[in-house]
Amino acid sequence: MSDQPLFSLRNPWFGASVGITAAIAVLSAVAGLIWLPLAQPNLKLAGVWDAICSAAGVPRAAVQETGIKPDFKTSNVVMTSEMLTKVNQVSIGRGATLAQRCAICHGPQGVSDAHSPNLAGQFAAVTYKELNDFKTGARVSVVMSPFAAAMSDQDMKDVAAYYAYLPRVPSNNLDTGRPAPVIVVTGAPMRNIAPCGSCHGDVDNKAGSPWLGGQSAVYIKAQLEAFASGARRNDISQQMRNIARQMTADEIDQVAHYYEAQP
Amino acid sequence: MASETDHSLGEAVAARIERRWATLSIVIVGVLVGMATYIGIHQATMPQGRVETADPKTLHLSGEFVESNLGSEMQADGSVTVRAIGQQYSFTPQCIVVPAETPITFRATSADVVHGFLIEGTNINTMLVPGYVTDLPVRFKAPGDHVMPCQEFCGIGHQGMWGKVKVIDKAAFRDMAAAKRRLTCVD
Repeated sequence: MSDQPLFSLRNPWFGASVGITAAIAVLSAVAGLIWLPLAQPNLKLAGVWDAICSAAGVPRAAVQETGIKPDFKTSNVVMTSEMLTKVNQVSIGRGATLAQRCAICHGPQGVSDAHSPNLAGQFAAVTYKELNDFKTGARVSVVMSPFAAAMSDQDMKDVAAYYAYLPRVPSNNLDTGRPAPVIVVTGAPMRNIAPCGSCHGDVDNKAGSPWLGGQSAVYIKAQLEAFASGARRNDISQQMRNIARQMTADEIDQVAHYYEAQP
Repeated sequence: MASETDHSLGEAVAARIERRWATLSIVIVGVLVGMATYIGIHQATMPQGRVETADPKTLHLSGEFVESNLGSEMQADGSVTVRAIGQQYSFTPQCIVVPAETPITFRATSADVVHGFLIEGTNINTMLVPGYVTDLPVRFKAPGDHVMPCQEFCGIGHQGMWGKVKVIDKAAFRDMAAAKRRLTCVD
């Protein structure tokens, strides 16, 4: 036996082991790539080649079915965490000029006591998204909608960049000693409420979520109530409505006053 | 002379042992392949049959995952398709309603990071991966309420992320479906 070459077809051990291994591989491939996919009627495979491709994981774009279109305007902003994070001095300069018309409600420095949002230091992507939603009608306000309707895409980016550039100014209600409500720090896991801070800063920031420190309590409360009732629907895929619906009136009150007192 | 006999005897023993061990290892491989095939056919494991892609950034703009198209849809053949998305930190729809004793297809994806899709009390347990559509054929035996927690750490608010699945009577579902084309149990 020792004088016989090991890797030779004349060696019966070699022939049998390679043959059996190949047979197992072929049978497994037939089972996995053809038989199993075809045994799933809901896959609606076009044939053997389709079965092999889908089982091997060849990606394909999801079929664009004619689903139900919304009967209201939804936000068309494509939100990413990199959006409008690059500082552009020209944009800020243009924004400063454009923002003069915003000053009557939002304050010359982006801060006011008019219960309108304080925009100084707000993330540019947030201000841009809301302006765009006012313009498209995804968010409606008798005051803001006409202003936004006249703005170009670049105008909105410039104004957003300008307000992002302004330093945050603490509100008159600043009270950093105020204890954070449970809903802000830990949320209410039993009611599908993540901590406010996991998106709105302090703990983490999710793209598109505004910085809430120093905002008017009246404004925060009104927005949460609008999300809960469905009067405001420009949050992408219900991300804020899902939360606000589950909040109690008391919790809404607590977060509104807590964030107002924050820097 | 005696050593010659010993040698051929030893060779025969070695050949027999080798053949037995080879047979045993082939049988083990065969059993494993057969087992995978059996549980695949009987859906004890549900590997996804297709890889479908969907851009997580533009789910809300067009396609089947726009807000108004999410929820349960009664198909012409009597089966039900449920579409849902996972996002930081909730599922939309927040409450899914499905009929019992009916073939159901879950189609879901993620709008941001990897989320988990697990329905308590059933063997439904998969992942929602941004960029890919999760497609899962299921069937609920009896009416009842289930919780659907995100079982894949998705960020600092992960523990607050879960949905509900309400399995209702087939006839009751049919009545609901007659009035509305996309059903949820969000109040």
